[in-house]
Amino acid sequence: MWKNILFTVTLVVSIPIASQKNALQLAISDSVNLREVLVSVMLPLNNKDIVDFYRTNQFSTLDNITARLDGMSLIKRGAYALEPQVNGFSGGQLNVTIDGMRMFGACTDKMDPITSYIEPTNLKKISVKQGTGSCQTGCNIGGAVDMTLLEPEKDSAKTHFSSIAFGYESISKGKNLLVTLGLGKKKWDWLIDGVYRRNENYTDGNNQIIPFTQFEKTNIHSALKYNANKISSFKADALFDLAHNVGYPALPMDVSLAQAMLFAVEYQRKTTTELKAKIYYNQVIHIMDDSKRDSLYLLKSKPLEKSDSVYMRMDMPGKSSTLGAYAQLILLWNEKNKLTLKADNYTNNSIAEMTMHMRYARFAPEAPMYMQTWPAMLRNVSGLFAENSTYLSDKLNLVANGRVDFNIDNLQSKYGQEQFSVFNYSLAKTQSKWVKSLNLLAQYRFSNSISLIASTGYAERMPTIGERLGFYLFNAYDGYDYIGNPYLKAEKSNFFRLDLQFTQPNIKVNLNQSFSAINDYIMGITNSQIPAMNFYAKGIRVYSNVSQAKLYSADLQVLYSPLKTLTAFLLSKFTLGEINNSNPMPLIPPLKNVVAIQYEENNLSLQAECETALAQNRINIAYGEQATPAYAVFNVKSGYRFSLSKLGFNAGLGISNLLNNAYFEHLDWGRINRPGRSVEFYLKVSY
Amino acid sequence: MALIAILASCKNEPDITPINPLAGLTKLKEGYAFGASAKVEIWGKKNLFMGYNSITVVLLDSLNLTDTIKDAHIHFMPEMTMGTGMMAMKHACPVENPKEEATNGVFPGAVAFIMPTSSDGAWTLDVMVHNHKYDKEGTASFAITVDNPTPSVMCVFTATSADTSKLVLSMVEPLAPNVGMNDIEFTLHRKESMMSWPADSTYTFVITPEMPSMGHGSPNNVNPVHVGNGHYKGKVNFTMTGEWKVNVAVQKDGNTISNNTFFTITF
Repeated sequence: MWKNILFTVTLVVSIPIASQKNALQLAISDSVNLREVLVSVMLPLNNKDIVDFYRTNQFSTLDNITARLDGMSLIKRGAYALEPQVNGFSGGQLNVTIDGMRMFGACTDKMDPITSYIEPTNLKKISVKQGTGSCQTGCNIGGAVDMTLLEPEKDSAKTHFSSIAFGYESISKGKNLLVTLGLGKKKWDWLIDGVYRRNENYTDGNNQIIPFTQFEKTNIHSALKYNANKISSFKADALFDLAHNVGYPALPMDVSLAQAMLFAVEYQRKTTTELKAKIYYNQVIHIMDDSKRDSLYLLKSKPLEKSDSVYMRMDMPGKSSTLGAYAQLILLWNEKNKLTLKADNYTNNSIAEMTMHMRYARFAPEAPMYMQTWPAMLRNVSGLFAENSTYLSDKLNLVANGRVDFNIDNLQSKYGQEQFSVFNYSLAKTQSKWVKSLNLLAQYRFSNSISLIASTGYAERMPTIGERLGFYLFNAYDGYDYIGNPYLKAEKSNFFRLDLQFTQPNIKVNLNQSFSAINDYIMGITNSQIPAMNFYAKGIRVYSNVSQAKLYSADLQVLYSPLKTLTAFLLSKFTLGEINNSNPMPLIPPLKNVVAIQYEENNLSLQAECETALAQNRINIAYGEQATPAYAVFNVKSGYRFSLSKLGFNAGLGISNLLNNAYFEHLDWGRINRPGRSVEFYLKVSY
Repeated sequence: MALIAILASCKNEPDITPINPLAGLTKLKEGYAFGASAKVEIWGKKNLFMGYNSITVVLLDSLNLTDTIKDAHIHFMPEMTMGTGMMAMKHACPVENPKEEATNGVFPGAVAFIMPTSSDGAWTLDVMVHNHKYDKEGTASFAITVDNPTPSVMCVFTATSADTSKLVLSMVEPLAPNVGMNDIEFTLHRKESMMSWPADSTYTFVITPEMPSMGHGSPNNVNPVHVGNGHYKGKVNFTMTGEWKVNVAVQKDGNTISNNTFFTITF
């Protein structure tokens, strides 16, 4: 196995923020700070710049922000809970964590990526790492997204702070309310932040209402910190997120309840050696609901005007809870070397059920049809991670990291085994597997303004529970039911990346290219032996290892400030994917560009943005893809800051989709138009 | 009996745990086989019904009513009388007579009643006993009621082949179906005359389960094959609970000779 690892690399999409003289400050990850941050002009362009650039709208959902990060795209099934994709990788190929904590959605149909349970208000920063080197939180082949929760911090000037804000979006009659409150006393710091959002169905560029795009959510996060002394601190976090009445226009059902709870306790000790230890528990409950849908909704041969002669209702609850802990040590073991060690363990317990109730008009209801779409399963993963950064000279830095994960899957009831006996599997109650990752990164600084980062890596990742043991998971994109494969092999990737950075006081350029050669790529392959589960489904696809797949991505980012008051930003993202004999990989976005200009003087800011995407004609027809036309969308935003006595005010007004274009992106399921022209305003009062 | 089992397991000698052949069964009828010096008890899982009934006979020595008779010849002679007077008509149905040696002290056999008791027809079940202990013979006669279960577990049909055989197809298993792979077992009997319904091993089966309201079936089913005495065994797969329809094509020499025969299984 290790023979395969010729060179491995990392790709940490990051942008090392290294000072000229000190390896100790070398940071390889790229973070996006969502709040006020001091930015040194000479730092290379990173996600923080982009978020700062877009921070004008306080009411952005996390999706609005991540959509503008390099390498990131979003898979859209409705107006809510977009699923992150990094360079063509998504789902189990990525690690999405909260402060390094693992958390898993409870929906078998990926309707609740965990980013949907977090609000920008909850966050201090979001960091995106691309490629296999992002294995600090777990072996993965695509990348990692880590969201750092907001921390209460002592402001030297104030012992308390509070703000309240209200925003409105005309297109969905969207109302947003945000509250933040912080208190500090002696060694204690406390904060609470929360959001309430309510959106009705939006209207597209053709002035048509898009049904089932409504959603409503409440989110509260609170943190308490105790600073024992200058080096040691304890912190406790609690987060509660509740979404209900969430429409998914691209799916045959909606969500009546998606609820997440998270609790964490952390200890930190910072001397020349940094220690961080954390224990956490989280729980996600996700209940799908089709009570508002015509049960013939997706039926191709549905007679016109006829609705619901058959009453089929599906009840699909899912539950996922995770208990975990990690300890991390950062050691400067000599002047030129920094070592990070991390040991972690988590146990995830999940189950998803489906009960179908069929009733023909004027007949008694049939016996309920029950199955476990995810059989009750416990997955325990124990991992060890090590990374060493070496500062060789002013010009050259080297980073090597590696990780092993030991994974045990344990079925919690006979039901899973019995279900899979239908497919002639005699399924072991317990299965275990090792996965590993090894990566290397070199940064070479040609001059103060130009540097090159080359990285390479090898990684494996475990199949997800759905991929291993999913039982008739309906995929509304291709219309097939997906069935797991208990004996899937780990997906493997050989990864290569080049990052070229150019930095001058008034211009920052970042050009990166990533290439992944993937073996045992996991995707659903049509199996005509197994009959489709219901009238909706076109057939059955079984998760299988496809021997080879390739993904290539290139991103260009330019941030240019010709004048002190004027900044221009350009982002181009491009991804190319293929599976086996040069078939296009499905669900790959076309070239996308964002160009924005911002004028900022005194308390006023004005911003105009143009977002364009080429048509995507490189599609996988067998998978069920259709070509997507090109589009261009224009947005304008303005913001104004002022104060009255002790109160600070932030007001903003903007128009999204200025020309009211009807468009959708290639990753939008169901080819459902995005919102048309929307007027947005917000007002924030802080004290 | 449970107590014995517990005591036995306490002694850690599971090998000698006695098997209770009547566990889960209820006594349906009892009566004397006059002339055989035997009291006949009929035990079954539930009341007799149209379909394949596993019937366990317990013979007690009528002299003391405690000793069980373990060596006897038992014949089931079910008979239905339809109509009355001049129009009265009698017929029997398929039976599986117990072996002469008792199994665990009792005599398991089977009767496949081919129609339910109705206002038009009444069943009797005669049990003829040849008590080897005393070498005496006699018959116990029971008036019985045969229920009509829903869904039906038996198909009585006329073959579409040239011989127009009258066939009795009974589903023996699955009695307690689960999600997953289940044993499926049929018996097939052919009418030779009104009173003779022998087992037939010359047919083959193709089963196709389906869930009518979902429009789907299930993969990897195994068609039942003959295993002896008119019994055919295979495997049927159910992917979920609910109402399943197992279509059964009965074939002779590769040609389907049944028409729309199926069993509905709901769980």
